[in-house]
Amino acid sequence: MCGIVGYIGEKKAQPILLNCLSKLEYRGYDSCGIAVLDDDIKVYKDIVRVKSLTRTLPAVDGTAGIGHTRWATHGEPSKVNAHPQSDCAGRIAVVHNGVINNFRELREKLTEEDHILVSQTDTEVIPHLIEKYYNGDFEEAVGLALKDIDGSYTMIALMAGEPRLIAARKDSPLIIGIGDRENFIASDVPALLDYTSRVIYLEDGDIAVVTADAVKIKENGAAITREEHKVLWNVEDAQKGGYEHFMLKEIHEQPKVIRDTLAEYISAAEPAADLTGVEGGSLDDLVILACGTSYHAGLIGKYIIERLVDVPVRVELADEFNYSGQASARNKAIVITQSGETTDALKAIRKLKEAGSQVIAITNAVGSTASRIADRTVYTRAGPEISVAATKTFMAQLIALYWLALPYSKVDISRLDELVLEIRQLPVKVQKVLDNEAAIADCARYLAGFDNIFFIGKGINYPVALEGALKLKEISYIHAEGYAAGELKHGPFALLGSGTPVVAIVAQDNTCEPMVTSIKEIKARKSPVLAVVSEENENMEGLADSVITVPQIDPLFSPVVNSVALQLLAYYVARERGCPIDFPRNLAKSVTVE
Amino acid sequence: MKQAIVLAAGEGQRLRPFTVTRSKAMLSIADKPILQFVVESLAQNGIHDVILVVGYRKEQVYDYLGSGERFGIDITYVTQETQLGTAHALLQVKDMTEDEFLVLSGDNLIKAHTIAEFVKVEPEAVLVKRVSDPERYGVVNIEGGEVKDIVEKPKEAVSNLVNTGIYAFTKDVFKFAESVLDIPDVLNNMIAEGYNIKAMETAGTWLDVVYPWDIISLNEAVLQNIDVSLGGTIESGASIKGKVMVGEGTVVRAGSCIYGPVVIGSGCDIGPNVCVMPATSIGDNVVISPFTEIKNSVIGNDVAIGAGCIISDSVIDKGCVFKGRFTAIGGHSEVRVNGESPSVNVGAMMGEDCVVESNVTAQPGVIVGNYCQIQISRVINGRLPDGSLVY
Repeated sequence: MCGIVGYIGEKKAQPILLNCLSKLEYRGYDSCGIAVLDDDIKVYKDIVRVKSLTRTLPAVDGTAGIGHTRWATHGEPSKVNAHPQSDCAGRIAVVHNGVINNFRELREKLTEEDHILVSQTDTEVIPHLIEKYYNGDFEEAVGLALKDIDGSYTMIALMAGEPRLIAARKDSPLIIGIGDRENFIASDVPALLDYTSRVIYLEDGDIAVVTADAVKIKENGAAITREEHKVLWNVEDAQKGGYEHFMLKEIHEQPKVIRDTLAEYISAAEPAADLTGVEGGSLDDLVILACGTSYHAGLIGKYIIERLVDVPVRVELADEFNYSGQASARNKAIVITQSGETTDALKAIRKLKEAGSQVIAITNAVGSTASRIADRTVYTRAGPEISVAATKTFMAQLIALYWLALPYSKVDISRLDELVLEIRQLPVKVQKVLDNEAAIADCARYLAGFDNIFFIGKGINYPVALEGALKLKEISYIHAEGYAAGELKHGPFALLGSGTPVVAIVAQDNTCEPMVTSIKEIKARKSPVLAVVSEENENMEGLADSVITVPQIDPLFSPVVNSVALQLLAYYVARERGCPIDFPRNLAKSVTVE
Repeated sequence: MKQAIVLAAGEGQRLRPFTVTRSKAMLSIADKPILQFVVESLAQNGIHDVILVVGYRKEQVYDYLGSGERFGIDITYVTQETQLGTAHALLQVKDMTEDEFLVLSGDNLIKAHTIAEFVKVEPEAVLVKRVSDPERYGVVNIEGGEVKDIVEKPKEAVSNLVNTGIYAFTKDVFKFAESVLDIPDVLNNMIAEGYNIKAMETAGTWLDVVYPWDIISLNEAVLQNIDVSLGGTIESGASIKGKVMVGEGTVVRAGSCIYGPVVIGSGCDIGPNVCVMPATSIGDNVVISPFTEIKNSVIGNDVAIGAGCIISDSVIDKGCVFKGRFTAIGGHSEVRVNGESPSVNVGAMMGEDCVVESNVTAQPGVIVGNYCQIQISRVINGRLPDGSLVY
């Protein structure tokens, strides 16, 4: 998981590369670097953020270059391990995103052949292999070098005396941005938004030769034309616009995201995707696969579909499924991946496809790998999400799941009318939670003083508790655990006490009474209780120590408002503790390594 | 002039319930916040460097304007924590301005032509406008093109030229801004110190919202100049006449009549057999069911209007749900707002997220707070506070 960029054209490459890199820091930021083609190759790199690198760099005039921002896998973050990596003569520079499985043997072999490798990275073998195979033809040398590599090797290479960039994609995304007498390469769209909206998505196995006026792509050695896409995202989406953090901006964008997503689904002539599979058929074995926050959306999807459509649904973590899950041709599967590039999710799709399952992907990235390998894709309209902690994309995934389930619901027509009316009201309900921000921030100031916090929920709000705990731990570094309310007494009770607060999510459905009982049990163990309750619930006074009220809503949609309240709670706890909210330590967005 | 300071921190208390969750500058007229009219006017006059002073419910401004990119400007946000007055707001940007700059109010609706001449003026200067009811504003006493003094809301106006709240200043203004809270007092003090303040008159659009019902007349005025554009799907059998804007993804179903000037947002579901009559603005994601007529009204985002409703001369804020057969027709009424009881011709003014069961009738001039619930077959009148339940 790293961000890579490339530029070739008539302008100075250095400022463009640095600007593009700054937009990719969500993919990793423990070190960064650039290489610019001048008379020779000039490499600048360090274990700093892009902003600091920008301040310390001497100006270089070259108009072609590559850049990298790193999330360390092989070799600790250090100056020597930062990219770009070079060959012995310093004539070749490479930036790489991926993991080379056979790098030890390659390294040994290269060392035997008198190549001197100085870093601990797997990447360094690539420039040395290119150097080894170089025989006057840069492109051929890159092709031969990549043939030796077993693993994932999305990369860009630059060579002295060669006014072109050579890019290759394997298992991590790579996008070419088309400009006017200039071209760009990047791991993700936000890096390019300042320069162009015309992009080409490379596919696995592609090698592209990019000059200022041309992009030539080869698939397994044969020239191929890849479709050019127009990106609908705009620069605005990738700026903070008044907010202190992207996360808060993105939390506040949710009413609009819901509105946009619904408008897209409602106005479409056909349903976004057929839940029964592309070729119709029955719906009796549905599996949902995802990782992280998307997995929590999937768990809520289980409750939505089971309640509305009345079929059993299995939800599994994509990575677990890849190692030991059961796939069969009878399966209808929904795979949820925000980026459409998460390795674990892509593997799951491939495994399902091999078994003959029908796969619907839910993703936020048009043209992403997931959308190309699934049978059908439901796009969420969340726009680019910069904050590492997912908020608005989670919300858009929930809307997609509601929308997928509604046409198959077995409820009567007046209930269906009610649900459609209610789903259209969601933007207002979410806005109302946001309008209550100050009260939530007050509760957060209190919670920020603790080191262990439990989140509990029941029924459709059980996954909301899991997600609330995940949000809190990833940005505030407080140890938080999400539990099904009924499970608390099977173990975790031993940890309760006045130093361990519990956040209880109470919905106005059949889980309300047992939740009240759970809260009483917790109170008996002296744990402070913060309850998230609907405004119509008047029984919480005197029971919970503090209360966050959320708007009255059909219990089926309660995860929407409850999640937003918990997002704000996590945000303000992290802020109170002075954490780097948009870039939590050790984390990166869209994990494209295993 | 290259830079503008736009003051958009104030609440606008007399506009409640519509300003409970947003500032006055974010009130929507013809489907656009007032503040958007201001920044677009600046952009069209070549002013792209904008400092926006925000305070009350500032997140709504961030969410809508962002960095300004979409509107052709580059916004720097400054927060005025407590809204003490316009001079105090101006003081917040003391260290950020160029030598000369414009100051505008974010909650008066203007058009590009309003300030086309004024952006070229030499500071210090104030833009004035001739109005029929000067007693509501700061009346500017002018001699030989220069301001003698400004009197706020005089009992008897010496002229009908009023202060628009649009000024051209140099950094000198900050020396006078510390001792008083509002900009007119700053000007009076500057005049007393011997400064010459030019007065320039504009014949362009300058509209102020003071009371909730002003939204209706402003909406009508602004709708006269909209461009025709039909996005979404207009089913055959629907009739569209006059200036009508329909957003992307909206469906106008068979048998519906839309007679402009009308603006309809995106993602709406209108009809079948719905009449939207002149001077009506409808937000995004609005559902209007069969046999409903809406006229001379402003409907917010995410509103659901059931079958058989009649809504005229009314303002309905976002997220309200009408189950069906709701009636609100404009008529003569006296509405008390902050001790004043002006006589107006208006239907219902309803805050956000209200639920109205079937067969409810609103008497003219009713002001319904936010988050109210009205049970079946009620007649509502007067003023209902936020969160009222009408059984």
